Amino acid sequence: MLALAPFALPLYAMTLLTEALILGLFAMSLDLMVGYTRLLSFGHAAAFGFGAYASGWLLLHTQISMLCAVPLAALLAGIVAIGVAWVCTYATGVSFSMLTLAFAQLLYAIAFKWTSVTGGSDGLAGIPRRPGPFGFAAFGSRAGFYYLTLIALTAAFAFCRALVHSPFGAVLRGIRENEAKTLALGYNTRLYKIAVVALAYALGGLAGALYAPFAGFANTELVFWLFSGQVLIMVIVGGSGTLIGPILGAAFFLVVEHQLSNYTEAWALFFGLIFIAFVIFAPEGIWGLLTARFGRAGGETR
Amino acid sequence: MSLLAFFVTQSLNALSQAALLFFLGVGLTLIFGIMRIVNFAHGTLYMLGAFVGYSVARLTGSFWAALLLAPLAVGLVGMLFEFAILRRLYQREASAFLMVTFGLALVLGEIIRLAWGPDALQVEAPQTFAGIVFLLDEPFPTYRLFLAGAGIIVAVTIWQFLDRTRLGLLIRAASQNPEMVSALGTDVNLLRSAVFGIGCGLAGIGGVLAAPLVTASVGMAATMIIDAFVIVIIGGMGSFLGSLIAALLVAFTQVFGEYYLPDLALAFMYLLMLLVLVVRPGGLLGKEA
Repeated sequence: MLALAPFALPLYAMTLLTEALILGLFAMSLDLMVGYTRLLSFGHAAAFGFGAYASGWLLLHTQISMLCAVPLAALLAGIVAIGVAWVCTYATGVSFSMLTLAFAQLLYAIAFKWTSVTGGSDGLAGIPRRPGPFGFAAFGSRAGFYYLTLIALTAAFAFCRALVHSPFGAVLRGIRENEAKTLALGYNTRLYKIAVVALAYALGGLAGALYAPFAGFANTELVFWLFSGQVLIMVIVGGSGTLIGPILGAAFFLVVEHQLSNYTEAWALFFGLIFIAFVIFAPEGIWGLLTARFGRAGGETR
Repeated sequence: MSLLAFFVTQSLNALSQAALLFFLGVGLTLIFGIMRIVNFAHGTLYMLGAFVGYSVARLTGSFWAALLLAPLAVGLVGMLFEFAILRRLYQREASAFLMVTFGLALVLGEIIRLAWGPDALQVEAPQTFAGIVFLLDEPFPTYRLFLAGAGIIVAVTIWQFLDRTRLGLLIRAASQNPEMVSALGTDVNLLRSAVFGIGCGLAGIGGVLAAPLVTASVGMAATMIIDAFVIVIIGGMGSFLGSLIAALLVAFTQVFGEYYLPDLALAFMYLLMLLVLVVRPGGLLGKEA
């Protein structure tokens, strides 16, 4: 159904849908940490922002095509994340959250100050969607870019699904439920945590890398802690501990933001209230509500 | 400017900065100590203090009235929030609090923007402290001296309060073993409301005191909350003395870093925090790793 969307939807809806897919990918990547391993990251915007700046820089200053720049940026984000995770996993619980936040703010400070590379407070602008050779030019158009995003999200979803059902995923859930026990069973939990952070950052970086050519710019807001909070909202509202939930959450976030901002300037006010209500009354999120509603039919497909 | 004068004025600058950071950090750490809650809305409550302070100062014409009433109002908002929302979540894990207080930060931030508008508001320093004094022939704003003094007074007050009063004793006891305190006949829920209110009120004091220096603006929460988190983490979650030491460390790093290496000043604080956490994962005076 999503594959046919470009033929049926008006232009602005296409743009919104593409953005929803990108944010969905971003939220899903965070849920690998939050939902599956209980590593509450408060600095996931670092992954997105890094990916966006990296792909933006590559597209602006080198001649390589979008299809190379985007995966390359994601890979870089994953590599940087290994270092970040190595330090952050010294701490656990709330300290871990705060450390991820500190790293994101460090990146924010760098993005602000390193003007020659990041453009400082102006950010990078005019990022081209440079098509590659062999008729990949179609990805440069609005519908083409939508398909590119859809392919990326589908591939990432399939990858994550395989991942969480693999033995690796079982260890992650072991860490979530009882890290000491998992450690006692002989698993080096710290290595597993570093690996999942690197994967989450690489996928988050992929989302950011797609965002830069999508929007045509990358600025410091993409690394700001508010954005880290927003993506956490998407995960929780959608349903953490599932892969489809965060994607729904991201779409919900965008639609609500879009609709509310038509009526009132203070959409963040209502969004905050909706978020608080979800945390209190529906900790399982939208997907949790749906599966509870439709009982067994939906419950098995997570 | 002589080297001595430079160091004296910069150190006093850092002390006044440390006082502001301490008002936030100590509230956060008290709240964490007794409730195991990381209050993301703390920066926004600090901002609320600044704006309410602005309004009170305008209505009454007295900065001192603002300094008295605004923290009370902020503390009340905090207690209401604790009573209405946090109390439902004590059975849940720590992340629920982080998220719900993040929601409060969003909501409160928007309410402030709607009520006071998006522009920065200038708050006049009280007449007595509005001028400048000469220290070793260098001009220095009197208000910063006053801030440093206020920081010392509040720090001593809180220390004496925790050390000498019955409520302080209960707070220290409950941060170590809430079940036992409850079993001995103290209403721990009431205690939690009180501590949350006191912590928020301290943030309110910080907001009122900061307003003449940095104006009351909608951006003031974002920078401050991160600094306050850093302080709590460096000092050790739940440690009063730790938050005091960390506030001084961070303020001196910020002020001298800004002078010698302005490009890296933003990064210094985070590097300091990383260093502390790698050496002592629980913070300087924290118990848990």
